[in-house]
Parts: sequence; structure tokens; C-alpha cells
Amino acid sequence: MADGGYDGDFYLRYYVGHKGKFGHEFLEFEFRPDGKLRYANNSNYKNDTMIRKEIFLTPAVLKECRRIVADSEITKEDDINWPEPDRVGRQELEIVMGNEHISFTTSKIGSLMDVQTSKDPEGLRIFYYLVQDLKCLVFSLISLHFKIKPI
Amino acid sequence: MASAEAEAVDFEPEDDDLMDEDVGDGSPNRGAAASIPRLKSAITGGGSSAPKKTKGRGFRDEAAAEADRHARMSARFDSLDSEGGPGPERSIEGWIILVTGVHEEAQEDDLQNAFGEFGEIKNLHLNLDRRTGFVKGYALIEFEKFDEAQRAISEMDGTELLTQTLNVDWAFSKGPFRRRNMRRRSPRGHRSRSPRRRF
Repeated sequence: MADGGYDGDFYLRYYVGHKGKFGHEFLEFEFRPDGKLRYANNSNYKNDTMIRKEIFLTPAVLKECRRIVADSEITKEDDINWPEPDRVGRQELEIVMGNEHISFTTSKIGSLMDVQTSKDPEGLRIFYYLVQDLKCLVFSLISLHFKIKPI
Repeated sequence: MASAEAEAVDFEPEDDDLMDEDVGDGSPNRGAAASIPRLKSAITGGGSSAPKKTKGRGFRDEAAAEADRHARMSARFDSLDSEGGPGPERSIEGWIILVTGVHEEAQEDDLQNAFGEFGEIKNLHLNLDRRTGFVKGYALIEFEKFDEAQRAISEMDGTELLTQTLNVDWAFSKGPFRRRNMRRRSPRGHRSRSPRRRF
């Protein structure tokens, strides 16, 4: 865990969403430097309730999140050759860690096929899997704490 | 410590307003200053840190993006009632602990066996790495009672499972922790620069 150490700032925000016939549907979560995790999920498809939850995490959880990000080496990548956000959707990943601040945007990625056929499959694959691992962590935290099914 | 208390108090409000602030100040911020986005100082809670290397298309149309984000995130967020302050926070049905350092080939049974002796495990999440399919390295475990979770933490933290050392701690906290941590790291109130990361 070379990079798991708790030093310096850490902030992470992920957004995925689109504006369509059901309005603005999106999922967003944020890890703040003070430990606050915010989670918002607005899906108008089945019901039009917006889920907004927040909870403070311990340093141990932030450290693990940070380790996952560091191990992915996402900050070495660049979104310059990734598909631009479009009508189908938009993803944003913003991370402040140590001396780096990245804010990447791209379209929705339906499957690994989209990754394979893109102009930067290696970088996009790292993004694709990191996002899944982060979602997995956040959904576990939110569903265990609030006893809701986040998705 | 009285002075620590005072600092913690004046820190929280500005932290809470982080997203709301971003919109009020819509001043154009182009040229050299644009490479050090305003967002950074708000997020990282102070101007004392070194300039960050920024990268990505997310910095292009920042004002619009921030307005969008404000619209999404400015409403009230639900949380369980909490008195704030330090200490672990109870979840709806119990107490959640985080186990890290979990071996990638660990099975749910390994964790059941190791942690089940402290009480009935109400929930166990052993999440997988989406690329490799192996265990990602952490587990979240729910106990019904505080004492069970507390014992699991004090007795399992630092022990070995499948040749790897486990770290065990609470997952949720009643309040923010950052100020306390900074204080411990740097008693004079300003932090030394972080060492360079390997990327």
C-alpha cells in the first residue's frame, strides 16, 4: 500500500447522467476531504424521487478509497482522446490527490466494446474499471448504512 | 483542547457551503489563473497547499459545470440523526466496520470464520475487483451490537489473514475528521508539503 498513506488532500467526485424524456437523470457521489460522502441518484423512470444521502466516513475508509484510486494510476491518463460527452450521456470524474487535480469527462460507456473501439482503449479501460470499483464501494457504504438499494 | 475546538467550529460552515459558494462567485478566471482552478482551494480547504497540476476537459467550461453541479447538489441531503463530533456512527440496523488488507483470494468463509466469533454477522460485503474478478482488498462487515463491532476491531486489527496483515476500523463517523488529523500532523496549524507521489 505504497500510496495508501493518509497525507495531503483527497477529493473525489463522479457524475454520470443524461437529459432525456424523463428529465435529468443522474447518479453522483463525492468524497470530501473532511470525510463526508455525498450520494445523489435521480431517476425519474419508475418513480420521481430523488435520493440524496450523506454520511461521514472514517479516515480508514477514505484511505482505502485513496488506495483504489492510486492503484488504478488514473492520474497518469488523459481524457483528450476519449469520446466527448454527447446526447446519450456524460460522465465526469474529478479527483484531487496529492499534487494532482484531474477533471475528466467522457460519454457514457455501454460496454467494453465501446472502450475497445475508442481512440484510447488503454486509458479508457482504466477509467471504466475504476468507476465500477468506486461505484461498488459507494453502493456498499450507502446500502449498508441506510438500508436502501442504491440502484 | 479549547483552541482546537474553536478552529473546528469555524471550519465546518465554510466546508458545508463548498458547492454553494462555487456559483456565487462567477468572476471570469482566465489566463494564467485558470490553470489553478478556484475549485481546488475550496475543495482542499485552504490556500496553503502547493499549486496542483491540473488535467482534463472538465476544466474547460468550469463556470457552466459548476452551475449545473450546484443545481444538482445544493438541495438537502438526508442523513441519520447524529450528534456530530468524533466517534463511530451507528447505521440503521447495526454497526459497520471496514477491513482492509484482505487477500485477493480470500473467500467470504474466511471472513465469517475470523469475525463471526465476535457476534452474528448481519451483513458482509466482500467486493471484487471488476477487472480481475479477485477480491478488491476490503470488506465491510455489519454487527448488530456496538460491543461486537468494537471487539472485532480491537482484536482483529493488525492480525494476519492468508499471509496479509488486516486493518480493522469503524466505517462511519459522527462528524468530520480532517481538522483533527491536520492538527496531529502539524501542531502549528500549517501543513508541510506532501511528498511527491510516484505519478
